[in-house]
Amino acid sequence: MSALGAVFYRESKIRATNVTFIFWDLFYPLCYMLVFGVGVNSALGSPFAAAGVDYNAFFLAGVLGMASFGIASNTSWSFFLDRDNGIFYEMLTYPLSRSEYLLGKVLFNVLIAILQAAITLLLSRLLFHLPVRWELLPLLLLGMAVGTAGWFFFYAIFALRTRRNDVFNAITSIFYFVFLFASSMFYPLEPLPAWFRGAALANPITWQIDWLRYMSIGLGDFHRIAWEALAFVGFAGAAFWGAVYCLQRQE
Amino acid sequence: MSEFALEVEKLVKVYAPRGKPAIRAVDGLSFSVPRGIIFGLLGPNGAGKSTLLRMLTTLTQPSEGSARVLGFDVVRKALEVRRRIASVIQETAAELFLSVRDNFLTYAKFHGLERTTALRRSAAVMETFQLTEEADRKVQDLSGGFRRRVQVAKVFLAETPVLFLDEYSTGMDAILKRQVMSLLRAETQKGRTVILTTQVLSEAEELCDDILILNKGKQVARGDLNTLKLLSQGVYEVAMTFDRLPEGIEADLQALVPLRYSVDQNTIEIAFKAEEARVLEMVSELARNRRVVHVEVRGASLEDIFVELMQGREAQ
Repeated sequence: MSALGAVFYRESKIRATNVTFIFWDLFYPLCYMLVFGVGVNSALGSPFAAAGVDYNAFFLAGVLGMASFGIASNTSWSFFLDRDNGIFYEMLTYPLSRSEYLLGKVLFNVLIAILQAAITLLLSRLLFHLPVRWELLPLLLLGMAVGTAGWFFFYAIFALRTRRNDVFNAITSIFYFVFLFASSMFYPLEPLPAWFRGAALANPITWQIDWLRYMSIGLGDFHRIAWEALAFVGFAGAAFWGAVYCLQRQE
Repeated sequence: MSEFALEVEKLVKVYAPRGKPAIRAVDGLSFSVPRGIIFGLLGPNGAGKSTLLRMLTTLTQPSEGSARVLGFDVVRKALEVRRRIASVIQETAAELFLSVRDNFLTYAKFHGLERTTALRRSAAVMETFQLTEEADRKVQDLSGGFRRRVQVAKVFLAETPVLFLDEYSTGMDAILKRQVMSLLRAETQKGRTVILTTQVLSEAEELCDDILILNKGKQVARGDLNTLKLLSQGVYEVAMTFDRLPEGIEADLQALVPLRYSVDQNTIEIAFKAEEARVLEMVSELARNRRVVHVEVRGASLEDIFVELMQGREAQ
């Protein structure tokens, strides 16, 4: 436990003493909501307008998912910084196991993701009067925690296997594009072509966002969402195993 | 608990890069190191020193053989090993985004130190390493030399029984280097074992109680300085200072077929292998018809032994 605490302490120190990191993690997705969400809502309206759900409400889960995804991606990039600074290899000789190192690294970032979700929910209520289902808040935060951890482990596999920063940046850019747009983040899946819909349904970020959407505004089919949540937990578990495996092979 | 700090048996590390022939970086090493001494690993670049250290510090796994630190196997009991070691890797490694003080506090946290102890020890090592004035500066704003200081200073915070230092003195000035050498000596008095690699042979000569010389992953020689000097009996170093550098001195030096020589302003330094009586004759020859201000004749240095051993290996 003390080893996990030490990695948590390290991560928190790095973030807390660097304001740009905090801004990036906490407010970037929120800015997305303020600009993109308001723009689409005003110009194009909502696909669920008839059900009384405007685009800002629909997009809320997308913003939360984007925060989770972004924090995970930034955290995995820190492997490169640590490797460049040499501290990565030195840390592997510290008194902690490699899985503790991974878990400790993600713990602080899960906390940031939860904080980010709380700020977003609060502001979306205050600014847009969105109908947030506060009674489901713990389950929503659970979705943020498991989601951030899962995406971090997934990205960590590539960060640990890739030696060059530019290659990793290319991978994350592709992932950003594919995962975010081939999902239910920006639009509902029902009107999409069958092939696109199939791809989006197989996309783990759709599973996470559907959960977040149901737990934030109650939109969606709970039975399907429950299965998707199970699939996401499986995805996160497999990613954790993969990341630990890659970390064990670092030398 | 084992009486040895290190026990290494038939240790092998093979790197097999894709599309290239496999490299045996460490090739069947066996040795043990008692506790409470400074143990030096010497060898030319690519000898396998750092690879050996990486295996002993659990950073990389051996391909064959075994190694134990204080009785704990570096593969099967890696975490137990890590709890008992502190290491300085060859590359400069520091938390660039943290202040100097936070670097120490974070390191202390990993080693389970109480905050008050961590603060007290941090202040002490910052004083020793002349980092007090930089305490609140981020390490990314410091020069390479200062970053290295932060890295090396950290290992004096925790009281792990074994210290691994891979070319720790790189980038340090002479005064600080001396201070760290004294600190290391003091640590061994307290019972800690120090395992170090260095390219600075005079440093090893002054510091190490026991030395292992490696080349191409294999042991070339092992022992304390006196034992190693026996391997190089008959090697002498002569330093002569003239009132002014004599003409033709380089030709005279070359004619003596030395192991090595150097000329710096009015001073020549020459190392050669010969009988003791012949050495005096050579000194007389060099001094003939010249005004000599200072003469010094020494036995073989670690550098001479090292060069001779390496050249011997190459010849074989």
